[in-house]
Amino acid sequence: MKIDLKTFLAWFDDRLAVTPLVKYMTKKEVPQHEHSIWYYTGSSILLFLFIQIVTGIMLAFYYKPTLEGANASIARIMTELPLGWLVRSVHSWSATFMIAIVMVHMLSIMLTKSYRKPREVTWLTGMMLLVVSMVFGFTGYLLPWDDLSLSATKVGTNIPAAIPVVGRWVTQFLRGGDDVTGDTLTRFFLFHVCILPLVIFAILVVHILLVQKEGMSIPLKEEIAKKTVPALPFWPNFILREFIIWLVLLGTVLTVALLFAPSLGPSADLMAAAPEGVKPEWYFLFLFQTLKIFPANMGPVTGEFVAVVIIMVGIIGIFVVPFLDNKPETKKGRFFTYLTYFGVIYAIAFSIWSLL
Amino acid sequence: MRGIRVWSILMMVSLVLAPLAAAAGQASPPSDKAGVQAAAPPGAQQVKPAARQEAKPAAKPPAKKGEEKRTEEIVPAYSDIKQRSAVIVFYVWLWLSIAVLAYFLRLWIKEADRVYKAKYYEPEESPRKGNPMAAGVGE
Amino acid sequence: MRINNAYFTRRKFLNSILGGWFGAVIVSFISPIVKFVWPPYKEPDEVKLVLADFAAMPPGEVKIFPWGVKPGLLKRAADGTFIAWVGVCTHLDCNVSWVPDKKQFYCACHIGWYDENGTNIAGPPPKPLRRLDVAVEGEDLFVRKPGAGAKA
Repeated sequence: MKIDLKTFLAWFDDRLAVTPLVKYMTKKEVPQHEHSIWYYTGSSILLFLFIQIVTGIMLAFYYKPTLEGANASIARIMTELPLGWLVRSVHSWSATFMIAIVMVHMLSIMLTKSYRKPREVTWLTGMMLLVVSMVFGFTGYLLPWDDLSLSATKVGTNIPAAIPVVGRWVTQFLRGGDDVTGDTLTRFFLFHVCILPLVIFAILVVHILLVQKEGMSIPLKEEIAKKTVPALPFWPNFILREFIIWLVLLGTVLTVALLFAPSLGPSADLMAAAPEGVKPEWYFLFLFQTLKIFPANMGPVTGEFVAVVIIMVGIIGIFVVPFLDNKPETKKGRFFTYLTYFGVIYAIAFSIWSLL
Repeated sequence: MRGIRVWSILMMVSLVLAPLAAAAGQASPPSDKAGVQAAAPPGAQQVKPAARQEAKPAAKPPAKKGEEKRTEEIVPAYSDIKQRSAVIVFYVWLWLSIAVLAYFLRLWIKEADRVYKAKYYEPEESPRKGNPMAAGVGE
Repeated sequence: MRINNAYFTRRKFLNSILGGWFGAVIVSFISPIVKFVWPPYKEPDEVKLVLADFAAMPPGEVKIFPWGVKPGLLKRAADGTFIAWVGVCTHLDCNVSWVPDKKQFYCACHIGWYDENGTNIAGPPPKPLRRLDVAVEGEDLFVRKPGAGAKA
């Protein structure tokens, strides 16, 4: 019997029928046009997700999700374990990179209007993935249990309370009670390592399957002109290019993690006053600032309530933008494009403002 | 349009850089506690290896027994010179490998593109399609 | 010397370099990861105790002291000196206890017995209890791994 790759794969094929799948993947093509650089963003997100899983598992070997043990266990990771500070730093920075690229990905979809028919459900799953990623970041931020993260979590879990009717319950569910306690920490840890990974995998599978089924979208004007766009086969041409991008991104995140490793404050004191300079992670800054600019009372309701309502309307608006922007080639489409630019300027400006 | 393309790229770049700047700013959290060792200063200072030695002193928390609370901030640092050298070697090796692998991958990409352009592997258009003697053409 | 036809082509050579280097990069990632997740706990080389806690022990009494995370057994011998063992059964790591009436150490897991010098006398334990060196220095009682020498 000949021993080579072909017979080896044939063994699996006889039992698992992978050939149709492989043949399908070899047929996949990636269109080449002036905006095709944004096609790399999707797989880059997967790279960072993979890095997060690996470093997260490594950290979870030694992290203790209790009020007494959390900060001390991270201190132990950073001081006793070989290069523990580097593992923690990679985990923290890779989260930042991942969410940054998620936002770039989302923005590129919005500007090229790839959410138009037939890709509306892909957009919806993508938006759900964005929300899940940001919740990942939010829950992870509390886990070191130092002053800054405790205060940021107190503020963050207080915001849903402004929602009428259900707000109180949402806050109680998130906090494990009315206040942030050790129960909150354990709860957030559970979300971060068990519930959210399951959720993100489920939605990710749907998202990726939909992308494969629909194929890669091409820009609006090519579609209108019904030009055939030159395409590159996914395997091996596009995937090889993706490998290079992955290598460079991996090197970048490792280098940045080495040079800008985060430090760890002392364990949070539930009785202490809030420290100076409380702020959430950077991807929440613009929301934070939006909340801050509303006055405490606006007529019969609190300013916070108005802000939360406006933000929720905005979020729902972004969720359903494929249905709102249903004629992307017309003036309405251009209006949504300008709306997107405005949204980006607003987000960046408010983020910078909140740091000043 | 070229204008929109430039504009989009500028926005993407600022989107990526803004969190880096914000996070580097966050790297020095409020230090109002006396006796705090130098928290990792943001930005360019840490690029020089000489400055790095003093910017990140070996920061073990003072040996405390029992339930005494730690009051100092823990700054990430190497625990010995061997670790520091190992990490530097690893990073040099990492970027060298990225350069080498990228070089080879570019060769592969150029070849794959050339092969694709020459339509070498398209059995559907192969003139030998349907010929029972042409087993395994392009497979 | 130019070879016109060769089985090992330039293509294969370059492919091997690429694959080999990539494999080396992967391997270089594995070592730090494995070192990180490998358990870091080590037994201590020495333990410092307060002499006052043990000074009043009559000959033949056994007290327990912490040896890292394991129990250590400290016994006052008939001639007044201290003997110490790691109080862990050499069979399958259960903690042993001192039975004063029989003057023997007993392991309840599989009914193992050690005599008052720690030698295994009955049951499955294959080796005697692990001995530790005891040294009295002023106010302190030091228990050390045997052969660790007089380290202050």
